[in-house]
Order: sequence, then structure tokens, then C-alpha cells
Amino acid sequence: MDSSLRIVQPPINLSRRELLSRCGMGVGLMAAAQLLGAEQQASSPNSEGSGLSPARALPLAPRRPHFAARAERVVHLFMNGGPSQVDTFDPKPLLEQYHGKPLPATNLRTERKTGAAMRSPFKFQRYGQSGLEISELFARTAATHADELCVIRSMQADVPNHEPSLMLMNCGEGRQSRPSMGSWVVYGLGSENQNLPGFVAMCPGGYPIVSTQNWRSSFLPGAYQGTYVNSQHTDARQLIANLGNARLSSTDQRRQLDLLQGLNEEHATRRSHAAPLEARLQTFELAYRMQSEAAEAFDFQREPRWLLDDYGPGTHARQLVIARRLLERGVRFVQVWSGAGQPWDNHSDLEKQHRSLSEQWDRPIAAFLADLKQRGLLESTLVLWGGEFGRTPVAELPQLNGRDHNHYGFTCWLAGGGVRGGYAHGATDEFGFRAVDKPVHVHDLHATMLHLLGFHHEQLTYRYAGRDYRLTDVHGRVVPELIA
Amino acid sequence: MRTTAARFTAGTPATTIEPKIMRFVAVFAVKLVTVLVAMSAALATVFAQPSVVLAAPPNAPSAGEPSADPATPQFSADALRHFEQRVRPVLARHCGECHGALKQESGLRLDTRNAVLRGADSGPVITLGKPAESSLIAAVRRQGAIKMPPDGPLPPADIQALERWIENGLPWPPGEPAAAASDAQARSEAARRHWAFQPVQRPAVPEVSADRWSRDPLDRFILQSLAAQQLEPSSEAARTALLRRLSFTLTGLPPTLDALADFLGDERPDAVERLVDQLLASPAHGERWARHWMDVARYSDTKGYVFFEDKNYTWAYTYRDYLIEAFNRDVPYDQFLLEQLAADKLTGSRYDGSAEPADPRPLRALGFLTLSPHFMGNNHDIIDDRIDVATRGLLGLTVTCARCHDHKYDPVAQREYYGLYGVFRGSEEPTVPPLDTPAPDTDAYRAFAAELAKRRGALEAFVQRKHQALVDGARSRVAEYLLAAHASRGQPATDDFMLIADPNDLNPAMVARWRIYLEKTARRPDPLWRLWHRLADIPETRFADEAPIAIADELAASPSRPAVNPRLAERFTELRPRTMNEVAAAYAELLRGIDSTWRAAVEAARSDHRAPPGGLEDAAAEQLRRVLYGPDAPPDVPVLLGWGFLTLLPDRASQGEYQKLLKDVESHLISGAGAPPRALALRDSATPFDARVFLRGNPNRLGEPAPRQFLLAVNPRSEPFQEGSGRLEFAREIARASNPLTARVMVNRLWLHHLGAGIVRTPGDFGLRGEPPTHPLLLDYLASEFLRGDWSLKSLHRRLVTSAVFRQASVERPEAIGTDPENRWWWRMNPRRLEFEPFRDAMLAVADSLDRRQGGPSVNLLGDAIVPRRTLYGFIDRLDVPPLLTTFDFPNPAQSSPQRDQTTVPPQALFMMNNGFVHEVAKRVAIHPALAAESSPAARTQRLFELLYGRAATVSEQERVVAFAADPMVNAPWERIAHALLMANEFLFID
Repeated sequence: MDSSLRIVQPPINLSRRELLSRCGMGVGLMAAAQLLGAEQQASSPNSEGSGLSPARALPLAPRRPHFAARAERVVHLFMNGGPSQVDTFDPKPLLEQYHGKPLPATNLRTERKTGAAMRSPFKFQRYGQSGLEISELFARTAATHADELCVIRSMQADVPNHEPSLMLMNCGEGRQSRPSMGSWVVYGLGSENQNLPGFVAMCPGGYPIVSTQNWRSSFLPGAYQGTYVNSQHTDARQLIANLGNARLSSTDQRRQLDLLQGLNEEHATRRSHAAPLEARLQTFELAYRMQSEAAEAFDFQREPRWLLDDYGPGTHARQLVIARRLLERGVRFVQVWSGAGQPWDNHSDLEKQHRSLSEQWDRPIAAFLADLKQRGLLESTLVLWGGEFGRTPVAELPQLNGRDHNHYGFTCWLAGGGVRGGYAHGATDEFGFRAVDKPVHVHDLHATMLHLLGFHHEQLTYRYAGRDYRLTDVHGRVVPELIA
Repeated sequence: MRTTAARFTAGTPATTIEPKIMRFVAVFAVKLVTVLVAMSAALATVFAQPSVVLAAPPNAPSAGEPSADPATPQFSADALRHFEQRVRPVLARHCGECHGALKQESGLRLDTRNAVLRGADSGPVITLGKPAESSLIAAVRRQGAIKMPPDGPLPPADIQALERWIENGLPWPPGEPAAAASDAQARSEAARRHWAFQPVQRPAVPEVSADRWSRDPLDRFILQSLAAQQLEPSSEAARTALLRRLSFTLTGLPPTLDALADFLGDERPDAVERLVDQLLASPAHGERWARHWMDVARYSDTKGYVFFEDKNYTWAYTYRDYLIEAFNRDVPYDQFLLEQLAADKLTGSRYDGSAEPADPRPLRALGFLTLSPHFMGNNHDIIDDRIDVATRGLLGLTVTCARCHDHKYDPVAQREYYGLYGVFRGSEEPTVPPLDTPAPDTDAYRAFAAELAKRRGALEAFVQRKHQALVDGARSRVAEYLLAAHASRGQPATDDFMLIADPNDLNPAMVARWRIYLEKTARRPDPLWRLWHRLADIPETRFADEAPIAIADELAASPSRPAVNPRLAERFTELRPRTMNEVAAAYAELLRGIDSTWRAAVEAARSDHRAPPGGLEDAAAEQLRRVLYGPDAPPDVPVLLGWGFLTLLPDRASQGEYQKLLKDVESHLISGAGAPPRALALRDSATPFDARVFLRGNPNRLGEPAPRQFLLAVNPRSEPFQEGSGRLEFAREIARASNPLTARVMVNRLWLHHLGAGIVRTPGDFGLRGEPPTHPLLLDYLASEFLRGDWSLKSLHRRLVTSAVFRQASVERPEAIGTDPENRWWWRMNPRRLEFEPFRDAMLAVADSLDRRQGGPSVNLLGDAIVPRRTLYGFIDRLDVPPLLTTFDFPNPAQSSPQRDQTTVPPQALFMMNNGFVHEVAKRVAIHPALAAESSPAARTQRLFELLYGRAATVSEQERVVAFAADPMVNAPWERIAHALLMANEFLFID
């Protein structure tokens, strides 16, 4: 049994009848979480095969981590396809000098054949008191938030191919089926809002490559998998399955649920109120409320006009408004993707493509960070920006206008959630190819993220098929310099 | 077949190519392609490991069990004191965690003298007496790539202590029983004594006084343990509850109204037994239990993420249908296992690819192995998955924990894992799977087969052409490859990822082969390559100056090293190379000359009808020839590339062409006119695979040979497998009556599914970390009864579900729940929640909408509209498991699943409240003929409860419903009522 998972709320002795009446009055949700959460003390959901134990009731009940956390929730802005570090957050002026010529150093082998160096078509400048150098692609974010960014310039992954790298970034393993980091986090912490999924993955227009594996729960219980939302839709009721009911008015449904609960009540009375029966009975009340609350949470149009104007137009602005609304309501892990397929994968025409993509992201990100900050959420929300890898400083000849995948060195940045702002960690070589100073592997990023959330990454485990699995597998080191 | 014949060589006469091509194609079809990403992980294996077993020390020491070293020298008291006071604490504090008994990073442990001397996977870390030459010191001084300890440097005084220790010759107290060794011994001793590895006993059935409760001998085991806990069993459940319980557990369907009437009206004393026989004879029984088995078999209709091939397992359903039929026919469990592991080797269904088998039907059982996820084409992962499904699934043993090191808890050695790896690596899936039913004797089929042969021929010809081009290119472009390999020195290895090349580029895999070849030749003075390596080390800027000196030095005779190959010496004597390019050109010219000579010799022999020569007579020439044609020759890409064959086609154009040709074959196989279904069979490769241990699980680092053999902990007397891949012998070991695990694991599964928890509550782990059985004697009693009953599952089902323990009521009793809240002693029946499949099937059944047709291709049935098939016929896509299924705890089909989770989350309720399917079911229930026949609301209510819950409504329930129906504010009240009853706990929970 995993004693490391404890319950936030002390158990409260409520009679079932009290509970039901409270539910009717609309304050029963946390009570349900407490009731059901309290049972998790007896038997935590920490391994396969627990069968019909009450522990499986309401697996999203909030839980406390191993030690005091710096961050309580995570938002991952996933630039899938791989944004170029030398064009965004890792300036390499020497590329100018070698533009069109072979690098004087070794040209590392990546997925495709590359040749000459390619200078960045974008201008860098220093921002904020920290003087972080950031390119014009993220000028707004930089101008308003440079001193909050913790830029890791020495990220490393294992291979320069999309599929395993996406899996590594999301699940900590390149090929085999492992739970995604959002699933791990919700498994560890539960969720603060039982009316919403604990882990939401938004990707406009369809799936990224390797599709739902990116947010799978794998061998963790299904309740921990990410709920996919096609954020292309603007109607909130289209975003979550079975949220609305066109056949039944809300009052009719309420009447029906009252009949249901009456029947359930009789049924339970005859059986001395077994815990699993109580738990399921509660979920109908939760679900009933979820219909309105979730619809409301996903409805970005409830924000004031001026705020929507700050975020600007476009899908990513909309996604980030929704992300903020979800985080604010207690959703534990939100992942926001750049789009179906691999949008940042600019093997050619990089200047135009990267410009267009960053134009869609820069303003919303700046507004999003400001919005979180203004609400006092930023300090407890870990923001992670990055792709599955970066791009090469060299171009794929014969053209000189695109870059190949690069896992030897790339950039991610963090903000909020107890990270050290205005700081650039580590470095790639003079051309931005390989991380040479203080390399941070993806496993280390995961370990640090879990640390910020209050977990020893080696102790947040789940036993499956004879092994105690963890997000960082047998790897991972917390990077103390990243923490404020 | 001789190994040499398993390779393509330039000299292979055309007439013998055909069968080899067939094999090649068959072999690469092991994965019909995927391959790319992790391709190179296997590449190095493929390259480093031709189909011949390399010679290896027969008794390589096995890690983890240091033996006493008779040659331990005597040390002075001072030296020993220094060790105890200054060295041992440093080792314990800073190194022990990663290099001790429990963990051996990089294969290194530092807790016994022998272990220190043996060193790491990469070699020794100590040179006795010479700290400066010891890599351990370099590591703690943080001078090289390895910097230890990882979290920060040691204090200088500690480093000096280690240095002095090495200077002193590694003093260690003599005769000290290595703590680690005794740990390991204690562990293996405990493992040997572990209950699950002991033979199944036949315990005496307990005598319990005044027993009026038991119905079957098995009940007396339960009663005895209840008495020991001072607990009483519960009374028998109501007949209505019993009927519902039996119907769902045996068929996955609710009782019909007729069945209800029959059973309640049957007053014979054996009414339950009669009902059970009837349910076991129902075709629905096979469907119910097939689905349980499909969890274990990680059944899916797709392969997961693929690159080129079709992602669907079009004929996966044939495996599912096999299961249904096998359970319905009560195929003896041992036979059932043999068929799933080795149907291709059994009489009747024998299949080796040369002809269609006499009786193809059992071949579809092999889906148990073949329906694996594809892991982006990584063959090692695919094999790992097959080992897992066969061992964890059938033996309850987590064998795959031994992939990277010996199992940490259970007695499974890494060598044993790779023995099984060899079994599965030596088994392959044919490109064109065998027919699932005998070939129809029709013109339409003949036309189909002719077209298939044509398309297949085109694919094979393409592959052959590409292979030949690769081999020829590797010989004719030696200089370029040498230079590329030279340039890749010191670069990060690219073995682990997919590379895309341009059509005329050097083949990256071939560059890697040359690199590995050169690395090997650098390890000892090599008459051909010593000179190369010497020159390769000269910096470019000083090359022209230093090269002639180096050449002269290398060519000079010396007793301490072998002489340089005379032909090479001759070529270089006068050479004044200014760059490595010129050196490479010189080597290449020499090799090309030898190649021409050799080809001429082969051609001459052929035209004279002589046997081809075995080599060149001149020893120096022969040495050169072997660079191109020898056992390790880089150009001689083995035919047995297996799944790594895509190294042939690293460029997009070839890949495109390949993909098209493959698709031509696949689409014809699947949907060509007259295409018959096929069995996803496995068969032995022409040559068995002799595996070696992958150190740390890394296929690029080969360790000791791993004979194909069964697990010694399970059968200490098993011998290495003799026949082909060994798969049939493996299957027989599992299906053997004396196997201590097989029967216990299956008995436990039946108990789990019927009673809601296993006797062993970790049904996928019977090892040392699993839970011990709550009732060990009962488990053995049932296992021995299972064996006595000739492995009949139906007999076992019958015993379990007619027992007194099964018949108990499920109501909570306060006094008992205080003593035993988890019901480990079975003082009541566990209330059960239906899994998604019987839940959905029950909705269809009560809506009078269940299509009882059996089998056939999988269908998409999770839309809003009603698709009336049973849920086990739904299409399962591994890559995109429908969120609805996951919400209802459907297990992840990426891995074998011993037991489902049971979570309760609001999205389940949302589905019930709002989904169109449920609404449609409610609508149909409301107009069910049995209800329509009743005019009074009270009578309707009664019928509704009988239909949905198999019982009469209580007075107060009836009042509630009737009042609701009369409420003028409610639209379509009976639909609403039916819907509420479907959502209610009673519909989902079985008493």
C-alpha cells in the first residue's frame, strides 16, 4: 500500500441522508469527495488487482503529495513538431558567419541529411531586467514576461524521430505503453474539482501523431487518462462527450434523477449501504452538475470582451482562455497542443511557417501569463512550453530554408509554479546543435516537474506486472537550479 | 540449412536464389515492415550478430554471484586496516546504492573483491597496483566521460585512499563471506521455497463437524477457515438473485423473462445444477469467457502505430472466434494452450510455409502470440510482449522483469529471458498468412491466387534488387564507406534511430556496419587495420608530416605484434599520403583488386563446372578477401535481417516504391475479389535463433549465450530445447500437468471471475512479490481437481458455481464486516459490478434488441445508434481506444491484463444520462411487448422490474413508479422510468 498518498480533507461523518440532502442543495460535491476520499486511506489505488475495493470509488479525490508543493497544477503548451531553438530562445550569432557553409565542428547526424549552417532569419534582443535574449517570434511574451521565464537551453531527448520523442516527452518512454505525465500527476494529486476531468488535452482539428497515446493512462486506471477536447469547436457542449442532452429538459432530467435516487436508496438500504453503491449514486449527482459546470467552464465567451481582446483572435487564444478557466476551476493538468499532425515540423520554408505559428501563439501566451498572474494563479501553476525536440542549426540541402529534427540540444521554458524566472539554464554549443553545459534530459524535466508538485519522483510509483513503475522509469534527476 | 546459405552473396548462383528470397521475404514479414524508428536498435544486433553464434567463453561468470577466489592474496594488517577504515566506508556510502547487491549500474558492483576485479559490463575498472591506469580512479577524479559519484566529487582524501588501496593490490579481508553473495543466496533459497514453485499437492478435504452448509468438498476448505476466524457463512441468496448471478457469470447476459419463470417454477432439488448445465451449454458462454481471455491476450484489431503497412489486423477476429468456439466445446485447457502457442507444430495443423496444412483451423489460435502491439516496429519489444503474454498470462510470472538484469525478486535469470527471446526470435509471421479454411476449389479462387502470386513476386523482386544494390554498393564504394565510418568516429551513435537518406547516398546502416567493423579491429593489433588506426589518430593538420613516419614504424618488423599484411605493406611502402582520403583510397584500391580476382575465380569455377573455391590461396590476399566476404564482412548484409530489413531502403523514393508494392499485396490479400480469411499464424524460421544476453537490455551489447530453454524455477529438470525454435517444447512445458503454475493460475482466474476476487489476489503475479493465496490448500485442491478432470474448464465452472460459497447472499453483515472487511474468508458472496460488455449487452437484451449471431469480422458499435451485436464483437483500435471504453475500465490493450480496474467516475454517469444509445434502449424497453401487454401502471411496473432486475418490485418501489407515471408534468413517463431503472445501481450491480 502506498502510504505516500494521503487525503487532503479529514473524513467527515455524514449520514447518507445528510449527504443526499446536501447534494440536493448543491454543496455535496466536496462532501462526496471527502466521504469517498476517506475510504482511500484504507486502501490507496496504487496497484493493479485491487478489485472491487472502495478505493476505486472516485479516484479523482484530492490527495496531498509527499512534501510541500511549489506548484499545484500544470499547463503544458505543446509545440508539437519541434520548434527551432536557434530561432526562438537560444540565439547563435555565429550561424550568420557560417551561413551557407558547412559547420567547422562536427555535423551531427539527425533524421535527414543536413549540410550547411543556416542563420536565423529572426532578430534577437534582450528583454527585462534579466536581459534574456529572445527572438522577435516571441516578442510580446518576452516583453511582458521575460523575467518570469526559466529557459532551459540544454534540453536533450533520445532520438531525432517524432513518434518516440513525443512518447518520451509525454510518457517518459519512447515505445512501450506507459502512462502520460498528466495521468501520473492526477494519479498523485487527484483533482480539485470533481465536476471536471482532472486532465484535459486540447488539440484543435484532430489528433497529433501517435494520437491518444499522448495522454493515455496506460496501466493506470482509466479515470486518469486525459480527456481529449477538439478545441476547434467553439460550442462548449461539443467539447465533452455526453455533456448535453437534447432529448430531455433539465427539469425533466432532475425529476428522473430523483426517481433514480429514490430507487437507489431503497436498493442500498436492503444491502446495508455498501460503499461502491454509495459512490456510484453520487456520480449521478456529480454528473448532473457537471453538465452545467463543465459547459460553463469551456465557454470562453463568458470572459469580458477586453480580456478576449488581450488574448487576441484565433484558436490558440481560445484554447488558452479555456485553459485558464479550467485551471482556475481546479483542473490539475491541462495540455494545449499546436494542432493536429506536427505543425512546427518545418523542414522547409521555416521562416514563413515559424513566423505564422508564433504569431498564433505569442500574443495569447503573453495574455495567458498575465491573466494567470493577475489572478494570483501563476505562482501555483507550472507552465511548460516546448516541443518533443528542437531543430538543427544546419539546413537540409539543397535548400537553405528549413531545419531537421534535433534531439541533441533544444529549448523548453518553464514559468510560474516555483521556478526561477529570468534565468537561462545550460547551453548548447556555439551553433546550438548539442547541449554541452548542464544538459537536462527529458527525464530530468519530468523529475523536476514532479518535485515542484511535491513528489519524490522515485516514490510516485504504481505496481504493474511485477514492477513499480514511475514516470521517470529508472532515470531522472531534479535540477535544483531551475527552482526559485 | 547451413548458415552460409542464409546470406546473399555476389557469388550466389541465380538458381538457388528463389527459395532464399522466399525466406528473406518471409523473415522480413515478421513485422511486415514497420521497423523504421527503432530499427537501428536492432541493427547493431543484426550486424554484430550474424545468424551464427559467435564463439563465447563457455562459462562466462554470471553477474551477481561472485564465487570464492582461491587466489586471494594475503594482505598485511596495515593494508587491511586501511581498507576497513578508509576505503570500505567510502564504497558503502558513495557507491553502494548503485553498485551493490541490489543494483549494479553498468554491471558494476563494488561490494566484494571479486566483483571489483571483474569490473563493469564495459571491462575492468581496476588495474592492480596502478591507480593511474584504473578507470575507477579516472571516474572519481572526474577526468573522463564518466564522472562518479554522479551527485558530486569525492573529497580528495577519499580519492587518495582509493588510490592507495589499488596500489596495495586491493586488500580485502580473506574468507569474508561476501554479504552480497549471501543476500543473493538467501534470495534464491527463498525463491526456491516459494509456494508457487512447489508441485501442486492434493490436500485432504477438511472434516468439519456439524456441517450442514457444504455442497461441494471445496466448501469445506472455506468453512474451516471461516470457523478459524469465528465467522459464519451467509445464508443462501434468493433464487432470483442466484439466477441473475449465474446468468451473468456464465453467459454475460441477464436471464430472460422465460428463464425467470422456468427457474422460479422449478422446484426440483437440483434446479440450480440444471440451470448451470443449461447456461454452460449456451453459445453465449463461450462469448462471455472469450472476452475474459481477450483481456489476458491483449486482444486488439490493430497493431498500434505503424509506418508503412496496414494498421489493421484484418483477421484478428478469427482468433476471437477460436476462443468462443474453444470455450463452448470445452477444449481441454492443455490443448487450448498448446494450440495458442504452437498450433503450427501440431499434427494436423502442421504448417511450415511449404504447403497449406491439412486442417488449418487451429492455426487461428496463434493470434494469442501474433496480435501484439507493434511498438513502432521494434522487434525486441514485440518479442518482449510475446514473452510477457505467454509467461505472465499463463504462468502468473513476471518474466519480462529479467529483460535488463536478473529478476530482482523472482528466480528468473536474465539468461533465461533471452533463452525465451531466442524461441520467439526464431518464429516468424509469414508475409502471406495461411488460409483460415481450406482453399476453395473454384476458378475464382485460382484467379485470386494467381494475382496474389504476381503481386507478391513484384514485392520480392524489388527487395532482392535493393538488397543486391546494397551489397554491390558496399563493395564498390569501399573508400567512401571507410571514410564515412572514419568520420563517424566519436560521433553519437545513430544506431537507435531512423535515418532518411537520399537515393545515391551511402547507406547509413552500411556506414554503421563499417564503423562497428573498424571498432572491432581496433581492439587488438590487426595485420590489416593496425596501420589504418595508427594513421586515423594523426590530427589532420600534422597528417602529411607524421604519416610517413607512422607507416615506416608500423611496417617495421617487431616480435611483439603480428606483421602487417604483405600486400598492404607493399601498397604502403612507397605511399606518402597527405590525408586520410588517400589512405582510404589505397585500401579501397587494394580491396577492389582482390574483389575482381575473387569474382574471376568464382566465375572460372562455375564455367568449368567445378565447386566454387573456398577462398584465395595466397594468405595475404585471402585476408583481404575476408574483409569483403568473411563472417564479419560489412558488405555482406545477412539475409536474416529480420525486421531490420528496411536498412535496405533508407531513401524516401525506395520507401515509397516499397510501400506501394506492399500495399498491392496487402490490399489484394484483404479485399481482393474472392479473398479468403487467413489465420494470423506463426511458424518457425528456417534456422533457429541462438540468442545471447543483451547486457542491461541493450541489444548493442551482447553477453553470454542464452540457450533456448524453459524456466528452471518452474521446471528444474528442463533441458535445452531441441526442435526448431523450441516453441512447441516451450508450449509443452507450460501445458504439462506437473507445471506448478499453469493449473493454479487458471483455477484462480475462474475463481476471480465467478466470485469477484482471486484466491491469489494478484492474478498476474504468483511470484515472490505477489500476494500469497488466502486459501492455499483450496487452491491446490481445485488445481488437482482440474488436472484430474482432464483440464475440463466446464467441469470446474460447474463445481465453482454450484458450491455453497458461491450461493451465499451478498448482503453486508455488520459483525462480519468488522472482522473481515475485504471478505477474504468468504463469509458472503461479493456483490459484483458488471464490466462494460455485459452491461451494454444487458441493455440490448432488455430492449429486446440483441442480435445473437456469433463471430465474424469486428464491427464499430459505439455510435449513438444501436448496433445490436454483443460488445465483444466491437472493433478495438489500440492506437485510439474509444474513450467510452476506457471510462468504463476497459483494459489497455497494449499489455496483457490480469484483472480490470473498477472505478466510479462522473463520465460513466454522463454516458448513462445523456448518450443516444441509452436513450434508444430506454425507448425500446418502454415498448417491450411484455410491458405493452399490461394496461395497469402497477402491472407494468412489475413486468419492468422482472425484465430489468429479474424480480418483483416492492410495494414502495411500485408506488414510486406509479406516482411518477401519473405525474402530468413528465413527458413520455414510461421511457423516463425505464431509463431511470437502467441507470439504477441494481441494473449494474449483481448481488
